[in-house]
Amino acid sequence: MMESVLLYTVPKAESFGVAIAIYFYLTGLSAGSFIISTLAYGFGFEKYKPLGKIGVVIATVLLMIAPMFLLIHSGRPLRAWHLFIYLNGTSPISWGTFLLTLYPVNCIIYGYFMFKGNAVRTKLFGLIGIPLALMVHGYTGFILSFAKAHALWRSSMMPILFLTSALVSGVAMMILVTIIRDKLFTKSGEVNFELLEGLGKMLTWLLVFDLFLSLSDIGVHYFGEAESHEVASLLLFGAFAPFFLVLETLMGKVFPLILITAKPIRSVPVYGFAALLVMIGIMTMRLNVVLGGEFIPLL
Amino acid sequence: MSRTRYGFLIDLRKCIGCRTCQVACKVENDVPLGVYRTWVKQVEKGTYPNVRDHFFPIFCNQCERPACTQVCPVEATYSMDNGIVYIDPHRCIGCGYCMAACPYSVRFIHPTRKVAEKCDWCWPRVREGHGPPVCATNCPTGAMMFGDLADPKSQIARILARESAVVMKPESGNKPQTFYIGFDDEAARHVDVDGGHL
Repeated sequence: MMESVLLYTVPKAESFGVAIAIYFYLTGLSAGSFIISTLAYGFGFEKYKPLGKIGVVIATVLLMIAPMFLLIHSGRPLRAWHLFIYLNGTSPISWGTFLLTLYPVNCIIYGYFMFKGNAVRTKLFGLIGIPLALMVHGYTGFILSFAKAHALWRSSMMPILFLTSALVSGVAMMILVTIIRDKLFTKSGEVNFELLEGLGKMLTWLLVFDLFLSLSDIGVHYFGEAESHEVASLLLFGAFAPFFLVLETLMGKVFPLILITAKPIRSVPVYGFAALLVMIGIMTMRLNVVLGGEFIPLL
Repeated sequence: MSRTRYGFLIDLRKCIGCRTCQVACKVENDVPLGVYRTWVKQVEKGTYPNVRDHFFPIFCNQCERPACTQVCPVEATYSMDNGIVYIDPHRCIGCGYCMAACPYSVRFIHPTRKVAEKCDWCWPRVREGHGPPVCATNCPTGAMMFGDLADPKSQIARILARESAVVMKPESGNKPQTFYIGFDDEAARHVDVDGGHL
C-alpha cells in the first residue's frame, strides 16, 4: 500500500447521535417489561403475577417518554404530523409511526382490563400486545439495517440483536423493580426471592444468547470487508474499545452472568447489583452501536 | 425522443484542485457557513520526490437507486424524471435518516432551516435554462461536464461511450450517475477516523 495523507475533506455530520440511542434504550426497556407483564396475564405463569400490573404501567410510561427523544432529535419537531399523512412503505421510520401509536394504545387497553380484573380481555390484549412489543423494538433494528452507509448498521443482525438486548435490559429492570418495590413498598420488606430466581434464570439465558449474537456480529465484521473490518477494529481496539469491551461486554454481560449463576453468593443484593450492571451495559451497547456505527467518516 | 437523464462527468486529469466549484456552489445556492453541497477532497500520495496530490470534487451523485429516497419516512426526498434527487424543504422533518443512508455523506442538516439539504445539480438554475450547474460553468480547466446521458449525441454520452470512467463506491448498489476519469480509488477512499481537515 502506498503512503498517503488526507489533506482536506469536509467532516461528516452526525446523523443520529445520543438522543436516538436513548430512544432505542427506552423502547427496549418498554418492550421487555411488557413481555414480562404478559407472562402471568397472557400465558398463565402465576409466578410472575406480581409483575403484571407494574410491568404494563412501566411499559406504557416508557413508551410515552421515548418518542420525546425523537422530537428532540428531529430538526422540525412541529412537522411530526407529516409522518402520518406522507407515508413511505420502504422506510422503517414510516412503519414506526404506526407501531409507536398502536403499541401504547394497546398497552393502555391491556392495563385497563387488568386493573378492572377482566381476565379474558386482559389475556386477549396481552397476546395482541406481544407481536406489537416485538415489532416496536424490532423496527428500530431495521432503522439501522436500512441505513446502508455504515458497515456496522447494514446487517440483518440488527433487529434480532436489538430484540435480544431489549429483553435483557427489560428483565434486568424487572429484577430491580421487584427488589425496590418489595423492600420499600411492602409492610414486611421481604423480597420475593422465588420471583427473583425465576427472572435470574431468564436473564441468564438471555445474556448467553445476547453474548452469542454480539460476539458473532463483531467477529464477522472483523473478518469481513474493508469498512466492516475498520468499524470492528474501532470497537475492539480503537476509541470505543473501553466502552464496547469493558463497559458493555465484560461489566455489562459477562460479569453479571457470573454473578447470577454463582449459587454460593446468590442473594438479593447480588441480583440487584447484577441487574444494575446489565442495565448500564445495554445503555452502553445502544451508544456503541449508534455512535460507533457512524464514527468513521465515509469520504 | 427518450426522456432526459442527467449525468455528470469529472475528468480528474484536468482538475487542479483550485476549489472554484466549491466556492461557486456556496454563492449560487446560498450555502451557510460550516456546511457544503460540494467540496474537493484532497489526498496526497507517495513521498517526495515521487508524490502526487489527488483531488476529488464530491457532490450528490443523483443515484439511479438512491438509498436516501428509500428511507425518507415522508417522501420529502425523491427522484425526478430527469434523474435528479430533489428535497422538498417544506415536507422534510429533519430526522437525518437520509444522511445515515447516503454512502457518499453529501447530505447535511441546514443550520437554520433544520431540514436536510444537498447538491441538486443546480436544478432551479438548469430548469430555468441558465446553463449547466455553476460548478461546471466556473471550472477553469473544463474538468466538469454536465449533460443528458439519454441523448447519445450529447458530449457527455459520447465521451462516456469511449473513455473508461468509474463511479465512486459502486458496491453501494446506489447506481451513482457521477462519473470520474483518472480516478484513484485507493486515494478516494482514504479516511481519517478523527475527521481530517486543514
